[in-house]
Amino acid sequence: MEDLYRLLRTGHVQAQGIVDTISDPLLVLDASLVVQSASRSFFETFNVDRYETIGQPIYELGNGQWDIPDLRRLLEEVIPKAAAIINYEVEHDFPGIGRRTMLVTARTLYHPDKGSHTMLLAFVDATDRRRRDVAKDMLFGELRHRMRNLLSVAQSMARQTTTEGRSAEEYRDDFLGRFAALVEAEDLAFTEQGEIGVQELFDRIFAPFAAGPEAIVIEPGPPVELSPRTIMSLSLVLHELATNAAKHGALSVPGGRIRVSWQVEDANRKLRLNWAEIDGPPVTAPLTAGYGTKLIQSAIAYTLQGRVEHEYAPGGFQAEIVIPLGTASALS
Amino acid sequence: MQKTVLVVEDEYLIAMDLQLLLEARGWRVIGPVGTVQEALQLLEGELPTVALLDVNLGTELVTPVAEALKASGVPFAVASAYDQPERYGGDVLAGAPNAGKPTNERRVLATLEQLTSFR
Repeated sequence: MEDLYRLLRTGHVQAQGIVDTISDPLLVLDASLVVQSASRSFFETFNVDRYETIGQPIYELGNGQWDIPDLRRLLEEVIPKAAAIINYEVEHDFPGIGRRTMLVTARTLYHPDKGSHTMLLAFVDATDRRRRDVAKDMLFGELRHRMRNLLSVAQSMARQTTTEGRSAEEYRDDFLGRFAALVEAEDLAFTEQGEIGVQELFDRIFAPFAAGPEAIVIEPGPPVELSPRTIMSLSLVLHELATNAAKHGALSVPGGRIRVSWQVEDANRKLRLNWAEIDGPPVTAPLTAGYGTKLIQSAIAYTLQGRVEHEYAPGGFQAEIVIPLGTASALS
Repeated sequence: MQKTVLVVEDEYLIAMDLQLLLEARGWRVIGPVGTVQEALQLLEGELPTVALLDVNLGTELVTPVAEALKASGVPFAVASAYDQPERYGGDVLAGAPNAGKPTNERRVLATLEQLTSFR
């Protein structure tokens, strides 16, 4: 008798030891749903104390905070029909810890000698995981959105780049030039914001055009943070300006130069860009605006809600672009 | 009578693409415009047969335009790069067919035709 008692005691201590090693909250219930044992992490997770838990019917724990319809359904309807339940989701507002999503795994243990049973209930707090899943879904959604938009713009450029009177090579080069500007814009738009600015945008977009270091002179200006959509439209516009200069303007002759500068105005709400070609061939306004010129006009006026003024001055083509900075702001 | 379509799309290149595509197939395009304000102004002047809406207009959502169209009984489709535009643009977009992005010519035309046949 003495020995048997010792054995049972040891067994109980061992069982409690096992219960405590489980890192997730665990409850052991008897057949009438009274708590026989609980793991340490149960007390920690639900911020409850051992004495108010052990020996209590589960529905009465913590002023009835476990009297949850979903849990009742699980304990009274689902478990009796199944040997084990895995990750049954219960969402509930727990007074001590707030709204939580719990995954409940349950198993019934039958005692062959006594004909009774014990129920093991393990809880996994999936609240944070769920939140992360939602955040991840949003992020993937945004990424897909960005990718499709980018493909849309590339598709539109391919369709609208002039084919009339062009050889396939000319068409391809025109398209690829625009495409390269788009690639640069995409790259710039999503690098760490605050680090990039107008200067870097200019450097990248003009890199294919500047034959020598003097060809395109960029005057230093104030740092400005540009939104991704501003970067994209502005990149395409600057590419068209440079293309036109290379074909018909200052960059079409040796010694021709372009001077580019920018300022922020109206308490950082506007960005003004100045483009001046010098020492180029004499220029005259073309009879009809090409696609590139239309693109410049529309990307600024339509997409960025700004304005462009250009002039075929005797000394060289000049343009002034003013765009609202909107959500993107100048760095103070 | 010629069928008309209001196009709201903030990216100029894509807006041009849609306009050229639709005009080539006999639609008269109202717009395109890239802001809610401009779209609402156009609606005051003329109600189109149908409308094709981008959801995210860069600095704002197209939602007020969709609401105005709904109030006037003008059917609309979205042309959005989002899988579930209503998650971004609100319930008024739920159930509106999505012609998708990038633009698939056949799909855009089929979507608009479908809208007109429901009238």
